[in-house]
Amino acid sequence: MTTTSQKNKQSSLLSRRDVLKIAGATGGAILLSRAFTSGPLSADSISGLARTTHASAAHEWHMGIDLDKCIGCQYCLWACQATNDVPDDEMRWNVGFPERTENGTDFFMTRPCLHCQEAPCTKVCPVGATWVREDGIVAMDYDRCIGCRYCEVACPYDVRRFNWSVSTAENPYDPTWGTPEVARRPRGVVEKCTFCVHRIDRGLEQGLTPGVDPQATPACVNICPVGARVFGDVHDPDSPITKFLEENDTFRLREDFGTEPKVHYVRPAKEEV
Amino acid sequence: MATTQIRMEKPKPNVWPMRLWYLLLGVMLLVGAYGMWQTLWHGLAVTNLTDRVPWGLWITHDLSAIALGAGAFTFSAVVYLFRIKRFEPIARMAVFVGFLGYSSAMLALAMDIGRPDRFYHPLIYWNVHSVLWEITLCVILYSTVLIIEFVPIVLESRFFNGRPRARAFGHMLHKLTPVMAAVGLGLSLLHQSSLGATYGVLSGREIWFKPSMPVLFILSAVAGGVSLTLLVTIVVSKLSGRELIDKFLRRDIARLAAFALLAYLYLKMWDWAATSYYSHAPGTADALLRLQATTPYTQSFWIIEVFLGILVPVVILLNRPLRRQTGLLIFALVLVIVGVVVNRWNVTLSGLTVPPQWSPGVLGNVVATPYFPSWVEVFVSLGILAYALLVLTLGVKYLPLFRKTAVAEH
Repeated sequence: MTTTSQKNKQSSLLSRRDVLKIAGATGGAILLSRAFTSGPLSADSISGLARTTHASAAHEWHMGIDLDKCIGCQYCLWACQATNDVPDDEMRWNVGFPERTENGTDFFMTRPCLHCQEAPCTKVCPVGATWVREDGIVAMDYDRCIGCRYCEVACPYDVRRFNWSVSTAENPYDPTWGTPEVARRPRGVVEKCTFCVHRIDRGLEQGLTPGVDPQATPACVNICPVGARVFGDVHDPDSPITKFLEENDTFRLREDFGTEPKVHYVRPAKEEV
Repeated sequence: MATTQIRMEKPKPNVWPMRLWYLLLGVMLLVGAYGMWQTLWHGLAVTNLTDRVPWGLWITHDLSAIALGAGAFTFSAVVYLFRIKRFEPIARMAVFVGFLGYSSAMLALAMDIGRPDRFYHPLIYWNVHSVLWEITLCVILYSTVLIIEFVPIVLESRFFNGRPRARAFGHMLHKLTPVMAAVGLGLSLLHQSSLGATYGVLSGREIWFKPSMPVLFILSAVAGGVSLTLLVTIVVSKLSGRELIDKFLRRDIARLAAFALLAYLYLKMWDWAATSYYSHAPGTADALLRLQATTPYTQSFWIIEVFLGILVPVVILLNRPLRRQTGLLIFALVLVIVGVVVNRWNVTLSGLTVPPQWSPGVLGNVVATPYFPSWVEVFVSLGILAYALLVLTLGVKYLPLFRKTAVAEH
């Protein structure tokens, strides 16, 4: 601003004071970044504050879907809509549609949330409203979500659903296929399949075994008339999912994405593959 | 009436062009207010966005406004940090345009998020793994920088003629300008690139997932931001009949824009060659094929983004006889801006309209989803554009955006 400072500046490109300033700024930046990554301002210590989960790393919940057994009755979709109170078919957490293999065999494809261990949706959320719990379930905090929909953009499996308007419609699947066990989500937040986490958490408190005791098992698994869906703790050697994985040659959807999904499929028409 | 209103300038014979301009902006603002009311009242159901294509026109508006506001950090760094003083006459205009860009972006974002009432959540709930969190913090901090850089200009205006303490405060803030330029440079390098990384880090979306995204975004932002700053300056010069910057500075800024464009073109072509020409990544190739079949993506990439948005303006900006024709120069700068906006649209929509195939079958049930904005989306965007143009007009009229250097160098 003043003319004197303009005269001084021509001496050299960087004065000693400039160097000290830069060094100070660099040091400060390093300290600050340490605080952000592992210190008191880190994601784990800050965003963990508001999270009260019953999750324990002792369990890890996985699901198995046998596309060879599936008969395409769609009961799993409807039971999910009743239990989680999703009246609108467009908003289905658990989707299903007719498919065909390369060899021309028709089958019915269904997909809940895959609860990826390396979930792209949880990494991108700017407010930490969705995260991978200690037991592997990808959880949502509807009270924290700002509705930016970056998680929808990041999820390669089209799992997430945004509440574009207030959901007031009557649920056509209640009570035939079950009764709502969770509150309907407000307008402007993202929702998705939870693996019926409310049943798992409550069931564990009551000493039940998710995957075995129906009250502690996802609705879609319970309703399946042919037992095409199984659920359980992969850390438990006797759980249905552990046996399912031992007995079958399974695959996961688009493993090349590196998302590490926790839903395992058995191919349709096993003999052909 | 007219003479008292604009006593600083030469008396103008006709006030009607300005009145029509304000009328147009007023209509756009009204339409925008209607759109915003509809959005806030009924929710985002009034948009044509879906769960398959959850981002559209407003995100394009937001990305474009931030990119085109990049002139602020570029010229602030050039003038106040690298002390290349011959660019100083345009620095204030750049800060002003940048402020309009960032405030427009925040308006667009406020409409676009499902819960505007929770806009502050990124400040209290941190997910440091999210590029969007980093962008949010950077944009908030950088907007603060822009305000600190901009307030002295406002305090220098004639509205504060009788207020020496306000003026003194302005001078004090102005002394911070070099520091603000350094902070602004750092913040801008971070978030302008991170906006590209928003798409570039998504490993599940093959057409986006590449390390070139952040660099492409910042190079195009510098080209677009410099171009918009020069465009506004030239248009204001022409309308007011005052030569706001001399022809040498005009040449230097045009060259700066052209060199940024060439750097952008270089990386853009390598990006295309590496992902689509010299290699065959199945996911990317499949996505591009489906895009070609359902959208004018390929044509708009080559014709609008590359040919009209880069090649034509580079020729005009670097060729003296062409550049000296003000009409052609304006044409070139408009093309650059259109190219950047179309790029932001193409990047956003390309990854969304052709989602990855995750079903193990062959019927292709994960189909391409077309998107075209609804009227409400267009109205809101027009309203935000009108806000930027109105404040720009008033700022040019009432703020000392160019006067400072003329006074200070006496």
